[in-house]
Amino acid sequence: MNTNLKISNVTKIYPGCVANDDVSLEFNSGKIYALLGENGAGKSTLVKILSGVVIPDEGKIYLNKNILKLNSPSDAKKNDIGMVFQHFNLFETLSVFENLIIDSDEQRENLKEKIDTIMKKYNFSVDLDVPVLNLSAGQKQKVEIIRCLIRSPKVLIMDEPTSVLTEQETSELFLSLKKFSEEGILIIYITHKLKEVMQLCDEVAVMRRGKLVSVSQINNENIESLANKMVGQDLKTIKKKKENTSSEQLIKITNLNFTSEDPFETNLVDINFSLNRGECLGIAGISGNGQSELFQVLSGEIISNKNSIEFNKNFIGNLNPQERREYLMAFSPEDRLEQAAIPQMAIFENVALNNFKSSNFFNNGLINESKIKEHSKKIISEFNVNTDNIDLKSQFLSGGNLQKLIIGRELITSPDLLICFNPTWGLDVGAINYIHETLIKINEQNKSIILISTDTDELLKLSDKISVIHRGKLSKIMNAEDVTSEKLGILMGGGN
Amino acid sequence: MIKIVKRDQPSKAIFFFTPVLAIFLTLIAGGIIFYILGFKPFEALKFFFIVPIADKYGFSELLLKATPLCLIAIGLSFCFKSNNWNIGAEGQLTFGAIVSGGVALLFYDQEGFYILPIVILAGAIGGMIYASIPAILKTYFNTNEILVSLMLVYVSKLILDYLVVGPWSNPEGFNFPETRQFSDSARLPLLFEGLRIHAGIFLALAAVVISWFVFYKTYLGFQMKVSGFSLKTAKYAGYKGKKMIILVFLISGACAGLAGVGEITGPIGQLHREVSPDYGFTAIIVAFLGRLHPVGIIFASLVVAITYLGAETAQIFMQIPKYTGQVFQGMILFFLLASDYLLFFKFKLIGSKK
Repeated sequence: MNTNLKISNVTKIYPGCVANDDVSLEFNSGKIYALLGENGAGKSTLVKILSGVVIPDEGKIYLNKNILKLNSPSDAKKNDIGMVFQHFNLFETLSVFENLIIDSDEQRENLKEKIDTIMKKYNFSVDLDVPVLNLSAGQKQKVEIIRCLIRSPKVLIMDEPTSVLTEQETSELFLSLKKFSEEGILIIYITHKLKEVMQLCDEVAVMRRGKLVSVSQINNENIESLANKMVGQDLKTIKKKKENTSSEQLIKITNLNFTSEDPFETNLVDINFSLNRGECLGIAGISGNGQSELFQVLSGEIISNKNSIEFNKNFIGNLNPQERREYLMAFSPEDRLEQAAIPQMAIFENVALNNFKSSNFFNNGLINESKIKEHSKKIISEFNVNTDNIDLKSQFLSGGNLQKLIIGRELITSPDLLICFNPTWGLDVGAINYIHETLIKINEQNKSIILISTDTDELLKLSDKISVIHRGKLSKIMNAEDVTSEKLGILMGGGN
Repeated sequence: MIKIVKRDQPSKAIFFFTPVLAIFLTLIAGGIIFYILGFKPFEALKFFFIVPIADKYGFSELLLKATPLCLIAIGLSFCFKSNNWNIGAEGQLTFGAIVSGGVALLFYDQEGFYILPIVILAGAIGGMIYASIPAILKTYFNTNEILVSLMLVYVSKLILDYLVVGPWSNPEGFNFPETRQFSDSARLPLLFEGLRIHAGIFLALAAVVISWFVFYKTYLGFQMKVSGFSLKTAKYAGYKGKKMIILVFLISGACAGLAGVGEITGPIGQLHREVSPDYGFTAIIVAFLGRLHPVGIIFASLVVAITYLGAETAQIFMQIPKYTGQVFQGMILFFLLASDYLLFFKFKLIGSKK
């Protein structure tokens, strides 16, 4: 029987962000649909709406022309919508079978029979009696899939399913998904990995900043076109005025590697680059390809081999962020509210997070509040932070003002190098312009910038050199003038 | 209709109001329990909370109980403020008592002004040594400090048990599981003739002042505050996380150790099996009831100390089992956690619209 799932004018607004803006989509069984978008594009919110976890502010969902009321995950289950989340919802210490029986209404024996049939049919081999913690990520995912299949779903939604899988497990998963699709299960596949979309899906819907950007047949698309749609298609050619950059090398990264114990993180493989004074190196890429790990390694949150980072003729790979600051580095992380600043603390306290020694914020272990406040006032006026109350908790600053405060805090010590990660993410146009102007000004003062960003426009506007990070590997460094949007698109998708 | 909505930000007023609410709800629930057990609720509560502190002696006993609670809770607040979950203060107290008791026994037949300071110092060091175990295991071997510190409590109690029964037992003690009496020079002086309240209270007050100073005036306090809000930010700012973890455990261990010293060189005067009626665990409740704030902890330690006294009074006068005291302590924590819900959510009256 044909299954038709229709999303009609769905809108979901969170404080300060429109996660889904009037999204309408239609799916039919027999096909595999990709829902593509960057982190924060709104695809997760959309599938959470479909699985009853989030209730939309407006809009309706229809299954086979019947309106669906999805007020809780169990409503979704009742209506034959199955969902496999990126992070598994399994009890690690219980056995596979116990995990499966927990949310099933079947008798023990019936269930066992059913599971056996499913496993035979799709060639799954999972030992039902071992505790889940002994399973590989791929096997855990199979358990999740079996849990959905037990209910013979009409719709199966997979959220970033391959983020923790090996290549081998990924291809096994794709085979199963194709089989499900042939059997008439409607499959919605959420990802930001372009290759997988090309490999697996029949139709692709692209989301950006909460809006549905395009719906198209996969045959009409290629990796570059999808990449452009994901990150914003108007790859304009505004570039900053090329200054005469010096040829004095400031930072050199040699054979930098990082292997994470966390399967949700990306390993960095053999990073090599160097940067001269007064230059801006842009690092492009689709998010989740190792940007956050690269930032942490450069900032010293992750310590690496001493000789892998040479800065101003000093080897500093083994130093922590505070020690690196003394060598005149500064850092602006991606996450403003959870890392770069503490919203519950006052503005002046947030300024003290950059404990540069000659700022004298702390003398002999005591807080020098008047010094910190003096400094804070200077930052607020020099960097146009729109408040005059430094005792204000920073949560009351708008995103733009908070970012100005953070950039100001980092720049007030006049560092030689600023490393920033998505500095304008989520800001309004005015704030974006201000940050961009500030960054250009730094370069003009013969100081350098490493700009890790998922915003291609921004990179093309500000960078002198550009490299692309893909799966933890850095492409060769190109001069920004030689870079075209097509080239970036190919590199971001993992091509050559 | 009443609807529960999320607050835009935690309310400061509610932050200090919920402990009071928790105590109030505990009284109500306690009254109900007494009623069910067949007592007159108001009378029982009066025996529990008012009679014990109605005279000079009672008030001295209140301070006597509140002293170790306050001291330990202050120490714990260093750990809790920086996201380190040391719940083994009872063990650190016991080990501090063992070390200081051992030193006091060395001097059992001597007098001298120098003995007491050495004994006190030994207790603090004992507590620090014992607290350093979960701290070092956490920082260098990634163990969970909750489990390690908790399990070490039982180890320390068994060590104490072994010592007072075996090698340290009083040779003239007819095989009672206790050591010799300490010499008077190893005892904390009493503050008033005939009352048991002793100079240990000054240690607790000193801890309150010092911790206030550290929390609000020093770089260490600032780092603890930042780490408490966000470990990611602490890492980004470059704070030396491992050193801080060890330091807060040492502070907390020293405080618990001092509380142990206060018990054995104050009211007890020797080592025996029961150096503490679970002060180390109860202090966790005190720390949270006091909102990890030095002044809050003073009030909280007084409130919780009453439950110890009240339980005894109620047992004597009304034959209510003294374990009711623990029930009250549990209820305070329970209601505190429950009313903390109000920090993040509020009730909102909305008109019935259809």
